Amino acid sequence: MLLKLAWRNLWRNKLRTSIVLGAMVFGLVGVTLMIGFMNGMMDNMISNTVNWQTSHLQVHKKGYSADPEIHKTIESSRGLELLLDKTAQIKVWTSRHLAQGMIASARSTRGITINGIDLQKEALITPLAQNIYDGVWLDDKGRNPILVSKKIAQRLKLRAGSKVVLTFTDKNGDVSGAAFRVRGLFETPSSAFDEMNVFVRKADLQLLSGIEGDHEIALLVNDIKQLESVKEKVRGAMAQSNSVQNWEELQPMLAAMSASMASSNIIILVIFVLAMGFGIVNILLMSVFERTCEFGVLMAVGMQKHKILQLILLESTFLGLVGATLGLLLSLAALSILNVTGISLTAMADGLSAMGLDTLLYPQVPASDFAVIFITVVLASFLAGLYPARQILKQEPVQAMSEKH
Amino acid sequence: MSIKLEQLCKIYNADTDFPVHAVNHLDLEIKQGEFVAVMGPSGSGKTTLLNMLGGIDTPTSGKVLIDGNNILQLHDKQLIAFRRDNIGFIFQDYSLLPVLTALENVEFVMQLQGHSEQECRKRATDLLIRVGLAEHLHKRPAKLSGGQQQRVAVARALAPSPKFVMADEPTANLDAKSTAELLDIMQQLNEQEGTTFIFSTHDPRVISRAKRVIVFEDGLKKEDTVQTEVSQ
Ligand SMILES: Nc1ncnc2c1ncn2[C@@H]1O[C@H](COP(=O)(O)OP(=O)(O)OP(=O)(O)O)[C@@H](O)[C@H]1O
Ligand SMILES: [Mg+2]
Repeated sequence: MLLKLAWRNLWRNKLRTSIVLGAMVFGLVGVTLMIGFMNGMMDNMISNTVNWQTSHLQVHKKGYSADPEIHKTIESSRGLELLLDKTAQIKVWTSRHLAQGMIASARSTRGITINGIDLQKEALITPLAQNIYDGVWLDDKGRNPILVSKKIAQRLKLRAGSKVVLTFTDKNGDVSGAAFRVRGLFETPSSAFDEMNVFVRKADLQLLSGIEGDHEIALLVNDIKQLESVKEKVRGAMAQSNSVQNWEELQPMLAAMSASMASSNIIILVIFVLAMGFGIVNILLMSVFERTCEFGVLMAVGMQKHKILQLILLESTFLGLVGATLGLLLSLAALSILNVTGISLTAMADGLSAMGLDTLLYPQVPASDFAVIFITVVLASFLAGLYPARQILKQEPVQAMSEKH
Repeated sequence: MSIKLEQLCKIYNADTDFPVHAVNHLDLEIKQGEFVAVMGPSGSGKTTLLNMLGGIDTPTSGKVLIDGNNILQLHDKQLIAFRRDNIGFIFQDYSLLPVLTALENVEFVMQLQGHSEQECRKRATDLLIRVGLAEHLHKRPAKLSGGQQQRVAVARALAPSPKFVMADEPTANLDAKSTAELLDIMQQLNEQEGTTFIFSTHDPRVISRAKRVIVFEDGLKKEDTVQTEVSQ
């Protein structure tokens, strides 16, 4: 009966209840979309970084990342490569021969990292091979082919077929260099990466540097949950002088941003819930005070105060339940539409690319976030009922009954 | 069971220059089974008296003794439970819960006593049929006339089987026909079940049906007569 009474009381003033619910639903959709957008952005940033740059794990010689000198190659990489081939959890791996150097055209010069790559494996581990815009992916034909980014091509006024000169310090500390011919132009989501990298065949680069071996091994696992166990396996199989790092260790900034995103989402939610809570308190105060007389009658006919408290709290909780359910259902609908269409941000393309983001974002709200939002909203509504209830219960029945509205 | 008032006082605005003695050193005893009308001019203190008799208002001084126990010494919780089990209220403005149907309004107060749903349903239906509302069990108060609403209120007051029913001007908003019907019902219940009715009124038709009439003025009992000739 108490449930029935509370539920019907909630709908006594349909207009007012609908307005509060409308505000709750509107706010909730806003909050979930906001959270979804932030999550989507972060996910996109991470997946772009992992897909295009870091992969899941990388192996270097210790100290290479801090000071990438050409003689710091991975030690006894043969044995490690055998293990990588054998390990079932590893989807694909590749090794790179890297050199820090300069690229020069007739126009200009830039400092870059020269990536000497294994053509077949590289094509599997990053989407680079599918993102050649002018020209084609590297192959075995021709002398010294090179891929440069659109960005570098623009700066150095290059196109497919243009000639460039790469120079870098070889193992003896002498400056070594050679002419390369642009085979194609690539573009990744990150403009910073594009400005800093060119790709050549590994064998060509090794010939110039006079060094066997590789500076970097990158791998993708089949299941991200197995990342740490694979990492330990790799660590166990390789020489002590090498180091293995996951993407979070390779991109500590990104990992930190991802972690702080969680707390900023909580702050958004808390602000919303507080604002909504005050709105609910306000509505409940109105709805409870205009019924003061009725509560007086209930006390007179023998309804205990804790029952009246229950009644008011039930009303406020129902309000929260209805609002949260409607709000989250609508959010779910909005999210599923946006997950098909995506949120297009072409107008901000330059800024996005500086952060390594795509121009089409897909909002993401994990189920756990939905649960947290739902529980928080319902809990806040429940608590919002306490204050009006307290005010009413302070009154004596006669006092309450004499209050007309 | 009886209600006894000893030196009961209710003073409003006591600490101002014009204190109002709504009830002034009143001694009164009402026994179970009585059918009492309290009459008097407006402002004489009838409502105040009934509220204190029913334990929903606290006197400034004096005692309200039910079977010799002072209900003013009960805790909040005990007092509410006492009212729930012993006192029925009928208010001038009916005071039904607008969101509940006639039947639910009556059931609700019984459920507060902890009766099972079937018990509540049965007694509430019986009572509503008895007050002539068999056709209107599932209507909400807004769909009922004043007289019908007041009959629901009577059923609600009686549902928990109280010893005393306090009715403050129960007929003030009713026409002659509804008033007569309501009085018939109350009289019947008084005679058949021994429920004590105490009502305040200005209405001579109501007074003529009372077995005992207390005339009240300025918070004082002016007359207290037992009528042997009760009109039907
Ligand atoms: N809450 C209050 N505060 C101050 N004075 C009050 C209050 N309630 C009642 N009074 C005063 O107490 C006196 C008795 O009031 P009460 O309502 O008991 O009279 P009544 O006989 O029921 O009148 P009526 O026939 O108009 O209903 C009146 O003078 C009234 O003004
Ligand atoms: Mg009165």
